[in-house]
Order: sequence, then structure tokens, then C-alpha cells
Amino acid sequence: MLHSEFSRIPDHSSDTVALVQSLLDQVQSRLPCGSQHTIKAAVLIQRWYRQYVARTEMRRRCTWHIFQSIEYSGEQAQIKLYNFLGYLMDNFTPSSNERKLISHIFRENDVCRDAEWERYFCYKNIEVPEIYSGPHLTFPLTVEQAMGLVEAFRNKKQLHSRYILQLLLETWKLLRKLPNINRISTCQSKEITICGDLHGQLEDLLLIFYKNGMPSLEKPYVFNGDFVDRGHDSIEILIILFAFLLLYPSNVYLNRGNHEDHIVNLRYGFTKEVLTKYKMHGKRILKLLQKIFSWLPLATVIDQRVLVIHGGISDSTDLGIIARVDRHKVSRTWSDEEWSNSKFLQRRASMTYPKPFGTRSNFQNRSLQDFSDRIREKVEDEVELCRRRTLHLEEQNQNDENEQCVSIQSVNSDNAKEEWKQILDLLWSDPMVQDGCIPNEVRGGGCYWGPDVTEYFLNRHNLQLLIRSHECKQEGYEFCHNRKVLTLFSASNYYDVGSNRGAYVKLGPDLVPYMVQYQATSMTRELTVRQRFRSALKVLREQLFAHKSDLLSTFRVYDTENTGLINLSDWAEAVESVMHLGLPWRMLRSQLVTCKSSEGMISYYEWFNELTIKKPQTDHIDEGLIETLYRHRSTIETIFRIVDTDNSGFITIEDFRQTWKLLSIYLKMEITDEAISDLAVTIDSNNDGCIDIDEFMEAFRLTDKKSRLERGRSMFMGTATDLTKLEGDPNI
Amino acid sequence: GAPAADFSADQIEDFKEAFGLFDRIGDSQVAFNQVADIMRALGQNPTNKAVTEILGNPTADDMANKRLNFEAFLPMLKKVDSMPKGTVDDYVEGLRVFDKEGNGTVMGAELRIVLSTLGEKMSEPEIDALMQGQEDENGSVHYEAFVKHIMSV
Repeated sequence: MLHSEFSRIPDHSSDTVALVQSLLDQVQSRLPCGSQHTIKAAVLIQRWYRQYVARTEMRRRCTWHIFQSIEYSGEQAQIKLYNFLGYLMDNFTPSSNERKLISHIFRENDVCRDAEWERYFCYKNIEVPEIYSGPHLTFPLTVEQAMGLVEAFRNKKQLHSRYILQLLLETWKLLRKLPNINRISTCQSKEITICGDLHGQLEDLLLIFYKNGMPSLEKPYVFNGDFVDRGHDSIEILIILFAFLLLYPSNVYLNRGNHEDHIVNLRYGFTKEVLTKYKMHGKRILKLLQKIFSWLPLATVIDQRVLVIHGGISDSTDLGIIARVDRHKVSRTWSDEEWSNSKFLQRRASMTYPKPFGTRSNFQNRSLQDFSDRIREKVEDEVELCRRRTLHLEEQNQNDENEQCVSIQSVNSDNAKEEWKQILDLLWSDPMVQDGCIPNEVRGGGCYWGPDVTEYFLNRHNLQLLIRSHECKQEGYEFCHNRKVLTLFSASNYYDVGSNRGAYVKLGPDLVPYMVQYQATSMTRELTVRQRFRSALKVLREQLFAHKSDLLSTFRVYDTENTGLINLSDWAEAVESVMHLGLPWRMLRSQLVTCKSSEGMISYYEWFNELTIKKPQTDHIDEGLIETLYRHRSTIETIFRIVDTDNSGFITIEDFRQTWKLLSIYLKMEITDEAISDLAVTIDSNNDGCIDIDEFMEAFRLTDKKSRLERGRSMFMGTATDLTKLEGDPNI
Repeated sequence: GAPAADFSADQIEDFKEAFGLFDRIGDSQVAFNQVADIMRALGQNPTNKAVTEILGNPTADDMANKRLNFEAFLPMLKKVDSMPKGTVDDYVEGLRVFDKEGNGTVMGAELRIVLSTLGEKMSEPEIDALMQGQEDENGSVHYEAFVKHIMSV
């Protein structure tokens, strides 16, 4: 009876309320103990529900924590790689084999005058075929063309490489005229819109434009770096941003992020994306982008009161210095004081700091303690040899220009160091809760800065607010340091579907930040917290497996009697000491260790069996080596792509061998020539002396096998089946 | 009855780890208004009223601003742990109260009304989240399955 009455409830509030009240009375009156019983039942359900919510929230936070710590440890590995390569670059003499490989690696950074670059980037001989159905561009750009680009990308079209190169050349020309620090104002009643990290997620940019309108004379925008990497549409985002920049140079402002850097791009997917989408001209496009990135401004100041930068600040950040640097030339310097006084260093400084020419890629400067003693010994010999040689050379060859360079550079090498640190801090730092300023060990670059540093900095520069990005936030934004620092992140669902919202901020003349949040919904079904937690755990298990030998040897240290068992506390301690992820291991244990433990002890051999990932058909290769490959797969791929200087996707067997020698130093493990040959044989199945990098990575299950065309788009009539045309198509 | 067994050293370490996760400031303490959630995350399910009492009936201001450390938290957790928690059967019985026809289902609409008006009232979004996907085409909830589903977190 009650049920039928319920089913007739119309969806009309006031009626419903009255009906509900009467029904409630009926409900309560029917019960044996009346309302008391009902209340008790309700309370029970409510208690239990609130427990469910709290536990789900814990899961969600753990999932987040897992993804983020793995992301940051990847960044740290990246910086370590940088430093390693840079160190080798500068400390091996031309005669050694390693040096040959390294200079081969960095051949691309050889001297090349501007005129030569212009010729290399010339788009004029690239023809656009009739069949091409994407957008056509003419310069100077018009609003319709910019809108047309947005529309085309929304419809999954791809812009032809001829137009990209043209667009990029125009952008390069413009950026060279811009100062290091953009200065803008909210004159009249203009509101400025500021966006954070986009990371190749085009849906988010489109969503922002949909909600907020596209950039225009009335609608100025600031984009705060990290436009590329990780997402699938980095190049499309760049094209759109650059198009609007060219259209409205006084209304669109771009800040450089730490991902606007070509070595980072090798690791995090942008390089791959461009080479996949543009097989013919991808290399040229990437080269030009390298220059463009180095010319991106470093900061934006609004109304002289609000500073917008990608990462953050340190206790030594000085906007005066930043305004003065030659931003496109600032590159790695040395931190090791041991070398700073040697003449060798000064000499080298002049050669690697060539004023009229292009600059090397940006390496970050860190301590050299990471590297094995083996290198150090070798280097000291080499340096001594060099020192004698250069002294000799100097006496013989008093080149005026060089001399001048040396004297200038010996004074400037300290400046160069300072400049590099300033920029690094700007692009890599994160805020922390405690006062002070400490190196950012987690990321490997920049620092952690506290509220006292913010206070001091803002006062010193007469500012009232610092807007930065660089960190993913669940709500898309977060204030800290007494609301003096605002973190802004515009890539929603960054870690996985449903993980976070994106946000942008609007600033009017009152300079009071007004936040707008959003979340891109994709076609795929939204995952529940439980599902995301499971996928995070899967990733975590892989990481643990990749560190099996280190974990095993650490466990053995605790398990002095060799029982094969370890207690809970020791397990958590040991795992953290190996993984350095800062995760709540005790909390995760029940999910990570499912084999039964006796009385709070974990049988770790059993656990490793549980974790074992199915191995590829590579039985003839040493298990330890496979594990190493797996653990460092991202670094390995990066190095391969660096070695592959012409970005062809192939490296020669000889380079492959040399690379492994290098890796064996970096990874501090012996990799015998025989082992290397085994690896090579496995991959070079057609014996032509070349190794396909993608195949290598796939063969060892180091990457998920996915179609290389998966991320490509159709430039033609636009269906998935057309993608097969793109393979080897010279028209793109 | 018999006094509740003390927490083991391992359990205490577990609690400490979880406690640390809720510390947003870095002073090894948590805010009063986080205490109920930490307890729930650790497998308890106190009423909000019970937690408020254990905290000494703080004012709304205290709830937001006062903090406590782990040593102060542990005895509170102990106290909550010794309170009757309720088993799966208790929850099923609780829902059975609303099962008019005795056929294993309750009306979703009825449940919503009760949860939002009685006891420690739930908000509409809370109720929506709770009920999501649980009502069949007639608006009925099969409560035994419902309970098992929620308890399996």
C-alpha cells in the first residue's frame, strides 16, 4: 500500500514535502517500538556510511600519493640523467671512446650560425598536396584562421608541417623581441585569465575556451608553462597558443615551464608525439621548437603586484637578475668547487659558452657525488692530462678571440652559475609548509620554499601575490602561505580519469583572484575510487618488482638468521629505504602482500613470487639484467632517443654497444660485452646493423605494446582506417 | 564484560602511520574536526556525537582550530574501539526495519527520507552517493547485497 503511494509521488517539491511528512508519520506509527526503533536504525546506517566515506577518502588519497610520488621520482631520475650526461660531456677528453660517443650524441648542438638555421627551417619547398583536408594558413594570421585551427583540432585534424614550420618561424621571430619578464596591466576593466599546466590535454584547453571565451583584445590570457608532455595533443596546444600569441601579442602571454625543454621532452612523450605525427619533418619541427622554448619568457607581472611563474622561488630569487639574463643562452654550469679554479675549466668554459653561436641544451647543475668512484678516478687523470695540454696549447696559440673569451668567461662563469640557478629555481621549485628554503631533492631541481621566504620576496619586490603551477591539485588550485601563493593546475584528470579538476583564475583591476573549476569528461566510463586504487596498486607492484634485488638484499640485512621472514615494521622501513617514495607502506601492506603471514611476519620470498611479472621470451638473458632494464626503462629509452640524433627511430649496433657501456657506468653495474651482444641479437632480427628503438622497448616489455599510429591523426578524410596511410607517407 | 584487549605494538604503528597522513601542517598533530574521520579510516564507526563527547564537547571554534597529537588520540581511539560497533547482521537488521513486505527490499525513497530527517542527518549529496546504483527499476533496494557492497571497501 505504501509502495503504491510512493510510486505516485510527483516530482514537485511542496507537494512532495507534505506527502513525505504524512508518509513518515505512517512509517513511524507502524513500527513496534515507534520512532525510537527507526531512529536507531537510521543512526546505524549513518554511522556505517560515514565510515565508508572516510575509508574511500583514504583510498583516494593513497592513490593520489602513489601516482604523484612515482611521477616525481621519474623527474628526479631525469635530472640525474641530465647531470650524468653533462658531467661526461665536460670531463672526458676528445681521445676517449666515451667522449666520442658523447660528442656524437650532442652533435646537434654543433656550431651553426643563424643564417644556416634559417635555411634548415625553410618551409618553402614543402608542398601541401591537394588531398590535404586540414587547415591552410596564410600570414599574417587572421582571427578566422586561429578559430579555424581550434575547430580543426577539435575535429581531430592535423596541421600540415609546412604551416607548422611557418607558424613556428613567425613565433620565433616574435619571441626574440620579448623581454624575460612580461609586464601587463588590467587597465580599464579588463580581466586577465591565467591558466596553469596543460600537459598536452587539448580537451582541457577547449573546455577553458568554451567556458571563458578565446583570447582576444578584450580577453587577455597568461599561460603558465608545461604546455607539452604526457598528454596526446601537445603539438596542437602549442599551435593554438602560438597562433593566438601572433594574433594578439599584447594580449597573450606565455611563461616557460620546466617541460619546455627538449631533453625532458625525450622522456615524457612530446618528442615521440611529434615524430609520430610528422614522420617526414618532425625532426625539423623539434629543432625549431628547441629554439622557441629557450626564447620563452620566464615570468609575467600583472599591475606590478602579481607575479606569475611556473615553479616558484627560492630565498635568492632576484627579479633584477632574471630580467637581465640572456635567457636563450643560459645553460648548465658547474657546482663542484673542486674544478672551479682550474684553468682547464676556464678554458672549457669559453668553448662551451660560445657567444655568437647556439647554446647547448639546459642541464641542471647538481653535486657530483652521485657518480661512481670509477668515474672520478678516471676523470682526475684525464683532467690532469688536459690541463697540461691546454696550457701547452695556450702558449702556442694565442688566438685573440679565444683569449678574450677566456678572460670574459672566467669572470662570467660565476655569473653563469648564478643565472642558471635563478632560472632553475623559477621553473622547478615547490612551496612547503615550514619556514626556510631547502633543495628540492624529490624533483632534483629548484628548491622547497617556506612562507617566510614568500613574505620576504613579496615585500622586497613590492608584490602582493604569487601565482604558480607545476603541482597537480585535486581541486585544480590551492592557496598556501597565508593565501599569498596560489597554485594553479589546468590539466584535469591528470593522474587518471576522475583524479582531479582543472582550474583557471581571473584577475580584474582589484587583483582579487576568482577561480573557475572544471573537469573534462571523456568517452571512457569514469572509474570509481576502488578501480583507481587498484590501478595505482598495479603500478606500485611493478615498481616494487623492478627493485627486487635491492629489496631482497635489504630484507636480508634485517633477517640476520636467514629465516626468510621479516616483521611488519622492518618490512615497511626496508621498502621505503629502497623505493624512496614516501608512501604509507603499513597501510598499503594488506593490498600489496596477499600471501599469508604468520603472526605478523612476512615471508618475503613468497612475496616476490607473488609480484613476479610475466617475463618475455628472453630466457637466454640474465634475469638481473632484465630487472635492471625494467627498472630504468624510462631512462634507457631517453638515452636511446638522445643517441638517435637524427630522430630516425633507429640506432646503429655500434652506438647501441657504446650506449650500454655508458649505462653500465650510470647504473653502476657490470654489463658484459657478451650480454650486450645477446641483447643486440635479440632485436636486430634482420641483421642490418640497426636497432629499432620502439621494438627494443617492446621486446622487453619495457613499454606497453600500443600502435605507434594510435596517437596520430588523420589529415585526410578522417577515419581511423586512414591512419594506415600515414605510415611512410611523405605528404605530412 | 571483560576489558577490551590492548592494541598490539604493530597496530599502534599502523595507527600512527594513518594519523600522520592526516597531518596537513607538519606539526605531528591533527585538527579536532579530523578526529572522527581518522577513526573511521581506521575501521571504527562512531557517531559524530560520540566523538564530540570524547573530545570533551569542544565549541565549533575549537573543532576547527584546536589540534591534538597521537599520544592524546590513542586513548580516544581505544575508547571508541570498546564501544559496540555493529556487525553485518546488525546493519541488515537495521535496514529490515524498513522492509514492509518482508521480501528483502526497502523503498529507496523511504530510506532517503529517513536518513535525511532522523538521527545524525545526512545531506542530499551524501544520500545520493550512498544510494547510487542501488535502486532497481522499481526504486527498491535489495538491502543484503547493499550492505555487503558497502562493507567490502
